[in-house]
Amino acid sequence: MDKKKRVILKLALLGDAAVGKTSLINHYIEESFKEDYSPTLGVNIVMKKLDYENAEIQLAIWDIAGQDKYDLTRKLFFEGCYGSLLVYDISRVSTFESIKTKWFKDFEKFARSDGVYILIGNKVDLKEQIMVPTEKGKELAEKLKAIDFLETSAKFGDNVERAFKKLVQQVLPKFGIEIEFDLD
Amino acid sequence: MIGDYKGEVKNKVLVALLQAYLDILDYDGMKSILKEAEMLHLKDIKDKDPNQTLDFFSFKKIISAQNCLLYDSSILLFEVGKKFSFYLFPYGKKFEEIIYEINNLIKTDWKVEIVENKDNVITIKVLKCIFCSEIGVSCDLFKGFLVHSLEKSLPSEDKVVCKTDVKDLHDPNHNTFSIQLKIEKSIK
Repeated sequence: MDKKKRVILKLALLGDAAVGKTSLINHYIEESFKEDYSPTLGVNIVMKKLDYENAEIQLAIWDIAGQDKYDLTRKLFFEGCYGSLLVYDISRVSTFESIKTKWFKDFEKFARSDGVYILIGNKVDLKEQIMVPTEKGKELAEKLKAIDFLETSAKFGDNVERAFKKLVQQVLPKFGIEIEFDLD
Repeated sequence: MIGDYKGEVKNKVLVALLQAYLDILDYDGMKSILKEAEMLHLKDIKDKDPNQTLDFFSFKKIISAQNCLLYDSSILLFEVGKKFSFYLFPYGKKFEEIIYEINNLIKTDWKVEIVENKDNVITIKVLKCIFCSEIGVSCDLFKGFLVHSLEKSLPSEDKVVCKTDVKDLHDPNHNTFSIQLKIEKSIK
């Protein structure tokens, strides 16, 4: 008899417009990157299946639009969310500030009360334009009690898979599933 | 998807459902569901004759994709259901007529009927509900549909609250259930 546990896990990527949420997902799902930017309209939801000996996990990854015009409806999208990547752009200080003033607060208020999150500083490939130093990111992650802080490049894939795996690894014990991911 | 999905659905049903997705999830949300269902070619179905039909299997693929992507999103599904009613019956109809029509607009192995209507409580029996046939999926969309369908036939101050007798979403027959709609009259 098949004793695999089957779960659907809702995860969300949150952050201001154009911080690279869609690009992070695209890299994680299909290892692709688009140079041209087209804003997400509402919410883009993609599924990714992870198959293990003891569990079949379907990730429902919600790429939630960052534009202000969605502020009223967005809270509905958080329902049942187990984990989140809180994403800012290391070349734009305002996106870093929004994590504190907007995205973290929304996640805390509207997602599951036991939801977990990782702070992500994206676009580390823009070395010449760094406005938010690593130390600032680490400090904020600690302050917000994030499970981790990672700097990523959706363009080149640095730390992208690691971010998703870490998040999933933290959530699975809630379903009685323990999986040791290779995080290297 | 496992099972026999024979039947047909009027195009206007899918048009109303897609419009509801658009209102609640916006364009990318609607596209996500159609893409997951491998039915992206139906995104412009509004340009076709609303009284023509679509095979039920295609429609059910969209519902299954929706239930997968919106798993655990009860409030969203409820809101989608309300909008679905709004767009399918935009000009207002008696609740009894809506129940009669939904059976005719979606022709397959399912049935919705009013079994009792007294003292401001309407009891509806849903046999093999097509909106929640997947294991573990609650019927929030159809609940939203029924609540809004009744609410729009009432004075605007009146409210409708609903409850179902579904006990175990993992029971394969959980999509056959009763739903009670209670009209709460406003006190003037």
